[in-house]
Order: sequence, then C-alpha cells, then structure tokens
Amino acid sequence: MIQAENIAYSISGKRILQPSSFEVEKGEITVLLGPNGAGKSTLLRILAGELYPDHGSILINQVALEKLNPEVLATKRAVLTQHYAVPLPFSCEEIVMMGRYPHYKQSTEVQNKRIIDQCMEEMEVLPFARRMFNTLSGGEQQRVQMARVLAQLADANGREERILLLDEPTSSLDYLQQQLILSKIRSLAKKGYTIILVLHDLNLAAQYADKILLLKEGYMLADGSSNEVLQSSLLSMAYELDIEIISDENYSFPILIPALHNKNRISQPNKIYRNGTLENCEIIKK
Amino acid sequence: MISKPNLRILLIILLITSSILAAGIGAMQISPVQVIAILLDQAGIHLPVTYSQGMVNVLMQIRLPRVCLGLLVGGGLAISGAALQGLFRNPLADPGLIGISAGASLSAVLLIVILSAVPILLPEGMMPQYYLLNIITFCGACLTSFLVFRFSRTDGKTLVATLLLAGLAMNALCGAFTGLITYTANDEQLRSITFWSLGSLGAASWKGIIALIPFIAIPMILLPRLARSLNAFALGEAEAAYMGVNVKRLKNQVIILSTLAVGASVAVSGIIGFVGLIVPHILRTMAGNDHQHLLINSALLGASLLNLADILSRTIIAPAELPIGIVTAILGTPLFIALLVKQKKFMFGLSS
Repeated sequence: MIQAENIAYSISGKRILQPSSFEVEKGEITVLLGPNGAGKSTLLRILAGELYPDHGSILINQVALEKLNPEVLATKRAVLTQHYAVPLPFSCEEIVMMGRYPHYKQSTEVQNKRIIDQCMEEMEVLPFARRMFNTLSGGEQQRVQMARVLAQLADANGREERILLLDEPTSSLDYLQQQLILSKIRSLAKKGYTIILVLHDLNLAAQYADKILLLKEGYMLADGSSNEVLQSSLLSMAYELDIEIISDENYSFPILIPALHNKNRISQPNKIYRNGTLENCEIIKK
Repeated sequence: MISKPNLRILLIILLITSSILAAGIGAMQISPVQVIAILLDQAGIHLPVTYSQGMVNVLMQIRLPRVCLGLLVGGGLAISGAALQGLFRNPLADPGLIGISAGASLSAVLLIVILSAVPILLPEGMMPQYYLLNIITFCGACLTSFLVFRFSRTDGKTLVATLLLAGLAMNALCGAFTGLITYTANDEQLRSITFWSLGSLGAASWKGIIALIPFIAIPMILLPRLARSLNAFALGEAEAAYMGVNVKRLKNQVIILSTLAVGASVAVSGIIGFVGLIVPHILRTMAGNDHQHLLINSALLGASLLNLADILSRTIIAPAELPIGIVTAILGTPLFIALLVKQKKFMFGLSS
C-alpha cells in the first residue's frame, strides 16, 4: 500500500532521518516508536507529504506521493497532527464539518451532516457539538479533532482505500479514552484502512500494533511485527533504559515495564514481576 | 448565540435602515418616508408624499453618493479585515498590518506637500488634484503591501510570521518618512494632511463611486468563495494542506483581494481606522468564526456602521464636519474594550 524507498531528511545539514526503506500494508496498524527526537513525527510528516525527503520517494499504490492531486488525496488520506489549538472561535460541529470539505463536490449536505454526527457520536463528543472549540479541555479537543479526521475519511460512496496518519492521538487522554480511540482505529484497520501512528506508550503499542517501526536518532532500529520488535534487548537499546517484558496467559499481548532509572535495581529484576498475579502484586506494593 | 439566518436578516434590515437614515439626516432634513418616496419616484413609482425639488437635488447629488461611498468603503474595509484575520489566524489583525495604510499615508502626504510646494505640477482646479491623490495613494498602498508580501516569501512559501514582522517594519519606515514630511509642512499643508489621515466621506461623487465599484465589488464577490479554505486554514497551515487546500494560492488571493479593497477605500476616503478590526470582532462574538457567514456579514455590518458614523461626523459640529476616523475611533474603542473584557477568557486562549 505505502512504500518508502530510501527516504532521508535533514534540516540545515543535520540528518533528522537516515536513509530508510519500509513498506506498510493495507489494513494494518503500523506504530512508529522511539524516544524523543528519534524522528517519528518527521517521518510521519514525510509520509503525509508535508515535508519532502532529501532523496528517495514515497509510493502510494505504486504512484509517487508528490504526483497525486492534493484535492483527490484529501478524500482518501487524513492526518491528525499534534496541533489542536484553533485561535479563532469555531463550534465543534463546524470543526468536524471541515473534515467534509474535500467531499463537498460529491456528497450532499444531508449526507455530510449525518457523517459528522456519527463521527462525533463515536468519539463521544456529540454533546459538545454546539459548544465553542476553545472552551473545551485538552482531551475533549483531541477527540473533536479525531472526529474531524474520521469525518474526512468517512465513506459516502463505498470506496475503500483510506490512509490515516496520526501523531500521538492519545497524548492528552485518560485510559478509557485512549482505549476508545485505539479500538476505533483497530476497527478501521479491519475495514481496510491503512493506519500509521506515532505512540509514546509502549503498552498501547503492544496492545494494538500489527507492525512496529522502531527509531532512534533517525536510524530505523527495527522494522517488523509487534512480537519481533517488542524485545527487551531492542527496546532497552532504543530507550537507553532497561525495559522488562512480561507475558501473561490472560493477555494476548506482552506487558512492558520501564525500569526505574536506577541501574542496581534494574540489573536484578524482582522475580515476582514475572508471575504477575494479584497477591504478588500486593507484595510489591509493600 | 443568534441563529445564522436570523443574523443575516437582521444585518440586511440594519443596512437598509442606516442607509435611509443617513440619506435623510443633515442640514436639510428629509424624513425616511420622503427618502423612500423620492427614490421610488426615480424608479417611476409615485407615492402620495410631498417633498420639494430641493430635497430631490440634495438627496440625489449630495446625500446618496455619500451613502453609497460609505457602504462601499465600510463594506470593503470590514470584509478585508475579516479575511486578513483569517489569514493571520488572529482576531487582532488589521489591514494596516500588511503596510497598506502606511504606504497610502506616505504617498498621500508626499503628494500634498509636493503639489503645494511646486504648484506648476497641478493643473487648474481642485478636482484633478483630488483624483491624482486617489490614484497615487492607491499605488502607494499596493506598492507597500506588495513589498511586504515579497519580503515574506522564501522558496515560493509565504511565512505568516515574517509577513507580520515585515508589515511592522514597513509601517515604522513609512511612519518615519510621513513624520519627517509632516514636520517640514506648512500650516495649510498640515491641515490637508490631518484631514486626509483622519478620513472623510466628504468627497463623494457619482463619478468617484463608479471608479471605486470594481475595486470593492471584486473582493466582495471573490473573498466569500475562499470561506471554506479560510476555515480549514484556521486549524493550521499543514492541517489545511492535508484537507486539500492550496495554501500558497489562498495566501496570494487573500492578500491581493484585501489590498484592492483597502487600497481603494483609503485612496477615496483617507484612513478610517477600527472598522476592519471591530466589525468582524462583533460578529464573531455573535455567531462564531465560520467564514461562510462571517465574511458577508462583516461587509453588511461594516457598511451600516460606517454610515451611522458618518451621520455623527456630519451632525455633531454642524455645519462643520468631524473627520469620520475620529468618530469610528471614539465609538469603536470603548466597544472594543468592552468586548475584550467580556471575553477575556477567550483572549487568554489565544496565546497557545
């Protein structure tokens, strides 16, 4: 679906992203992981077409990204950046409706209204529809912006090719809302959407990623399935911090625990962690 | 919040009422009924209302051109203000920010001083000087805003922050030169400089209005077509581009169209401050920022308010006239501050 061929990016002579190639499949959730400054957001902006790589190219269905008509692209690819603030007073409904602008030529007002109501319902922001966006809390704003992006990709005509790029969509959300957004993303992937997102939370990545690209200082440290990349040694190298991995039979995904920033404790991990039962956890509390 | 269709209807009613009032009030009082009767009579419909031929002459030759000028200038300034605020993503932006007013002032002041110092350049009569002033100030306004625009472009991209800074620099530079020339001006020159820089609708004539119409009508027709793009632009430049907006073209269009309207307005009526800032602001507090409504509503309200301000400027110290820029500033500032206080909370949100 999306192929990156030997793309690299630098700002005033400094390499932000070292030459890397990878492929992203349709219907998969690809997570970009890595410590701060690894180049995750830069990579996402290159994939979105906002930044041009120094060399190499991005192909979407074998067509170079820069050759696609921006207006057509906007009907099948949506991007959620970390920039939520809107300095002018718009109601939430108006913001979500902006997601439908690329479709104004094809779809009717009634269709658009139905789609934005549905997207707001899914992101649980319908009660704020008439409220001014800048009176909402950070988490509420993030969900309204997410609803806008969903509305941009909502299908009025039954086409299927959809690409969704998200930069830390859960950054200001509580646990419940993180799960709300990520399970929505999972269900979109099942519908055939191609999804690439930046996450900071390793456990969310473990829970939802089909594929992980692990970056560090611009280098692509690992590129593989969730199980392949989520290895203690790899992650510890990337984050320069010991990271424990626990498997529990009750969960289909690994549980990751960053060690305290205290080398002694990390080098002799407590065995109790590995069992992870409730009574043992209580022992840890003491 | 008022519903959008109701607000539009309210603004149209205000526009018609203020126009009829402005046409009637003055040294020769013409009642609103008489104004309507005279206008309908021109269209061939006779109403049983009595009025004198003097009233017809005053209305058709003096008042009506002035009302039309007020409508065009007020509408043009307000719609450009709303569009530029959308482009700068800042409700405090003003057409003056991109150097339009500064360039117009400098060229007008320069012309006033040069013409009175070297009268050979001026053919006989006042009218040619007046038209010359219009043309020169329009060129000055366009030139400075073009320069500001040019400075802020790198690699085919317009950086909005640089645009703002370049505008400030241009304002400072033109302001310095204007000050220098004003400093050397004699009493008579000073009076015309002051009169011009405070604005007036006093020079209205049908000829002038016909010349002005294209410069205002084109932005009024084209700017509302950019409404959705400006909405998307409010989310951020990159965000707008992700929604398929051609950001580069949008910036060019907004700046060129605003310069046309503001440049032409300044050229015919001098600098009338605050309309471009306050009118969109009032409307934002009433019905939000959706440019699909805001742009046209701004034009309607701007036109009405300038007409109301002109009534005051003509009547407060009658038979003399107060420059209209003074009226808009004296009325506009308290209103603006009241709005700021009312929505301090929102203004705090701006810094983020």
